[in-house]
Amino acid sequence: MNAQGSAPARKLGKRKGARIPADFVRAVLKGHSLLGLAFAAAIYLVCLTGTVAVFAHELQRWENPSIPPMASASPEAVQTALTQAAGRAGPGLEHVYITLPRADIPWLLVTTDAQGQARSWAADGAGRIVESATASWTEFLTALHINLHLPRSWGIFLVGLTGVALLSSLISGLFAHPRIFRDAFHLRIGGSRRLQEADLHNRIGVWALPFHVLVSLTGALLGLTTIIVGVLGLAMFQGDVERVYALFTPPHPADDPRPAPVLDLRPMFAQVEAANPGGRVEYVFLEHPTEMGGAALFNVDDGSNRLTRLDALAFDREGRLYHASPARENNLGEKILGALGLLHFGWFGGGIVKIAYGLLGLGLTYLAAGGVFIWLARRRDKDRPAPGLERLWTAVVWGQPLALAASAATVILVGGAGVRDLPAALPLAIWGGTTLIALAAAAATDPARLSALGRGATGALLIVAGAAHAALAGERILDPTAWVVSGWLVAIGLLLIATLVKRRNRPMRA
Amino acid sequence: LTPEAPDALGAGAILAGAASGAWLLQRAWRKRAAYPHATVVAGWSLFAAVTFASAWALGSARGTFTALTLIPVAALAIVAGGRQRRSVRAGRGRTNASLAPEPLERASTWWRTTLRWLLAGPIGMVAAMAMGICYAVWVPGEPQTRLLIGGLLVPVLWGGAMAWTLADNRILRATAVLVGTAVIGFAASILKGFA
Repeated sequence: MNAQGSAPARKLGKRKGARIPADFVRAVLKGHSLLGLAFAAAIYLVCLTGTVAVFAHELQRWENPSIPPMASASPEAVQTALTQAAGRAGPGLEHVYITLPRADIPWLLVTTDAQGQARSWAADGAGRIVESATASWTEFLTALHINLHLPRSWGIFLVGLTGVALLSSLISGLFAHPRIFRDAFHLRIGGSRRLQEADLHNRIGVWALPFHVLVSLTGALLGLTTIIVGVLGLAMFQGDVERVYALFTPPHPADDPRPAPVLDLRPMFAQVEAANPGGRVEYVFLEHPTEMGGAALFNVDDGSNRLTRLDALAFDREGRLYHASPARENNLGEKILGALGLLHFGWFGGGIVKIAYGLLGLGLTYLAAGGVFIWLARRRDKDRPAPGLERLWTAVVWGQPLALAASAATVILVGGAGVRDLPAALPLAIWGGTTLIALAAAAATDPARLSALGRGATGALLIVAGAAHAALAGERILDPTAWVVSGWLVAIGLLLIATLVKRRNRPMRA
Repeated sequence: LTPEAPDALGAGAILAGAASGAWLLQRAWRKRAAYPHATVVAGWSLFAAVTFASAWALGSARGTFTALTLIPVAALAIVAGGRQRRSVRAGRGRTNASLAPEPLERASTWWRTTLRWLLAGPIGMVAAMAMGICYAVWVPGEPQTRLLIGGLLVPVLWGGAMAWTLADNRILRATAVLVGTAVIGFAASILKGFA
């Protein structure tokens, strides 16, 4: 939130050769503080949920431990899975999304969209539907990150606005910190709380700047796409936004709603194989698969090391290829569009990059939290403490991990670790209720105690979630990733509790 | 290294190279290097070398972004390793001596505050969109590329406008610039049309 911790910038304006006037730095600091305070809670929540969402695929597998992982699926198996899922979805089947096994989700997964209801199933190696593939908590978490569970368009816009605010904070933070490189290694721990927080804030802010810019820029663009396209359509295409989207998507098949058998994908697979001998089908999107006007869009990994390497091939019901867009021929705009999500969530470089994204994401979350703590500490230093705000902010900072952990533990305990499908509202209700309790606790609890309670309870709930998953799923676990995730949850829980033990001999603080 | 992702060895090499670069920079910063300027150059050169090597092994875009992700992790580890522990009493009563200046205190009125936030919010957004769309309309190239780069410009320009309007004391100047930018940007876009 500000550039404290550097040497007195007041002198900058007076020193010979100084390029940044002190008043300019102070004015930018003012703007940086205003913006940080206005968006602190939103930035914190979006960063925290985004950090966890980096591991969404692993969490999805953790919630469905008895789905058998597989390396590949044959066209026959895909066709069987499609036919069975279409039968279960019932009439009014609009779309089907088929995800084929890949490194991060080694499943054959079929999601149907019938009469506005989406349902997901996992199939075995023969294509037989083995179980529902609902991941209540992961879906809750990603929706919280993407649209804050608000009405979709508004929620996405608000998250995009949060991304812009974060980007703006990065810009003002740079201008407010004239000694950005000179102080790059200055990290003083202990002593003045304000100095420690400022050092942490500025060091993380400076060294992880490429990551911060990348995630805030991609997130802002993803969030603002609807409104940008809407304004562009309004200004340039007489309000027809479809003409903008049509530049990026394959043409839709001719509409023919007469009923028909489920699309036969096998001849299309054969054509895909012939056209892309080294390719691997990653995803198939079907439009109206039980109508005469049905069509299938194949996304095929071309096997290159490009960031965006999915060829797009679209077939009509008769298996005629009516659109082909090889990844190697993508222009810069198409490459950027294809890379936005991968770069935003860190899904482009395997497990090591994901872990790095998780660590840097935690750092970004800390920036949002620490900035407000610096502002509060400055008020205290100036004999204008704001104890109510200190309590409230501590409740927000530690209430959110607690609320997320509480919802995860509840989903595992009530759902029997993937045995029962749960209503999507359950994790949301637990998260919302816990958030309210944490905020209410701020009225009567001092920040140090709130922080300790938050850490202790979050740690305990994470341990409960991990241990309960292992106990309830037990022999049903076919995917080793489930064990790894449970292990991580228990380890993080123990770490949080250890911070309490370690601090017993120190004065407590928020 | 596989085309998919850096394996443990590849990631370890990137992290080790980046950590070495950060360590050299830290030595120069602590004034412990015999040749400080050469050490700084060597540190930054290592960062560049790690990025190029990663791009060569993993693909230009994938490798570059992998390096840009792993270098900060390594550098922050070096920063954390060089932390200075201070006693609880340290800094008490004299914190201001090592702190940055206070943010500017400026008198304000309700209309200035309202206008400031309108500029940072909706007006800044409209001005940024006008520039983004203007870029997409006027700059030559593939339509998808123009739209995506124009789209990327919107959050950058809006964020810049936010930072500026919340800091600038001359609020009417900011109003004139942003409103003028929006009017000119949209007028120029509509005048030409998207092709």
